[in-house]
Amino acid sequence: MGDIAMMLLRPWNLALKWAVMFSIIFFLFFDGVTARCDSTEQVSTLNELIALFDSSSCKECHEKIYEQWEKSHHARPLMGLDDEIFMTKYLKNGVLAVKPGEKGTKRNFPCFKCHLPQFKYATDKVAAEIADAILRNDKASVRQLTISCLVCHNEKAVVHGCPEKNVIYGNRDLPEDTGHLVKKSPLMKNSLMCGQCHGLGPNLEFETPVQCATLYGSYLHAYIPSGGTQTCQDCHMKDGNHYMPPNFNNREEFSERLKQSLPMEVQTLSYTFEPKEGDSRPMVVLKTKITSKAGHRIPDG
Amino acid sequence: MPQATDSRSNQMMLGPDKKLGLIRDTSIQPFAPKEETMEIPLPPGVTKAVIEVRLTYQPRPGNIYPIHKVVRNVSLEETR
Repeated sequence: MGDIAMMLLRPWNLALKWAVMFSIIFFLFFDGVTARCDSTEQVSTLNELIALFDSSSCKECHEKIYEQWEKSHHARPLMGLDDEIFMTKYLKNGVLAVKPGEKGTKRNFPCFKCHLPQFKYATDKVAAEIADAILRNDKASVRQLTISCLVCHNEKAVVHGCPEKNVIYGNRDLPEDTGHLVKKSPLMKNSLMCGQCHGLGPNLEFETPVQCATLYGSYLHAYIPSGGTQTCQDCHMKDGNHYMPPNFNNREEFSERLKQSLPMEVQTLSYTFEPKEGDSRPMVVLKTKITSKAGHRIPDG
Repeated sequence: MPQATDSRSNQMMLGPDKKLGLIRDTSIQPFAPKEETMEIPLPPGVTKAVIEVRLTYQPRPGNIYPIHKVVRNVSLEETR
């Protein structure tokens, strides 16, 4: 009788088990969403935003790395080619335009998803300040908005959960006596670290969808399936160099990098073509072959 | 280069605020060499030519980053 009762109850047990499992999965998922740090902390002035991710103290102990970073595009993510503020033209004309700058809101800055990830902690008041600074061509203020050390070593260092406040993430755990708590992030040597910003394609989550870099998508869907084995860091952060080339403003260096990445072979054949008797035509046949050593399409970003 | 429309027409768009979805990609892909063959007819009687091949990158029109410049001197003097 007991066995029969157990058999009758078994489907319910199964259903119960699934219900419990589903609840746990749902709880984990839901809890994960709320724990993504997106974000309860808000700053309402530009100076507060700059201070929130200020990494200048890193230079005291990591001078060489800091100097490398200072020369990188990460140190000037809002400055385009030839030291112009790249957002100016978008704020002046087109779907992201705003006039005057004081009317700017976070909606004007989908580009900041990657060009200034810490912007998610800012209010519309900060957006207005930034829009105003950009439209006034206030480069001194705009230059203070950077992909600082804390963006990569905290904000973007954890994707499975939430980065902890006041923790620096690196390649290994370090004891606290170094001055700050350093925890290992498995992402640091992983291409996903860079892929968070360096592009999968259209960003459809915004009211005005934007499409910038598609580079990480190319890495995932062209380089890896073709047998590629290198990470972004292998090529762009050799020996941990935080200069992270290419540097579009160093024209010679960038040209040389492209030359190394895209070897080109040229072959020529010169002869007299004679399609029919007595019809001689001098001819050169030129063959070119460009091979790519890059881990992504070129050009991309 | 990767070419995009705004996904509302078949007009190619420039600029991240307008692009939305690729429709054609002529960029250089990893592990996929790009080979081209060009046949260059020379004027009758020409027996020597200088062939100059340049590869450049232009993120904006006129903003040119040179990559390769290869010069080949070709001769047809051996032709009967």
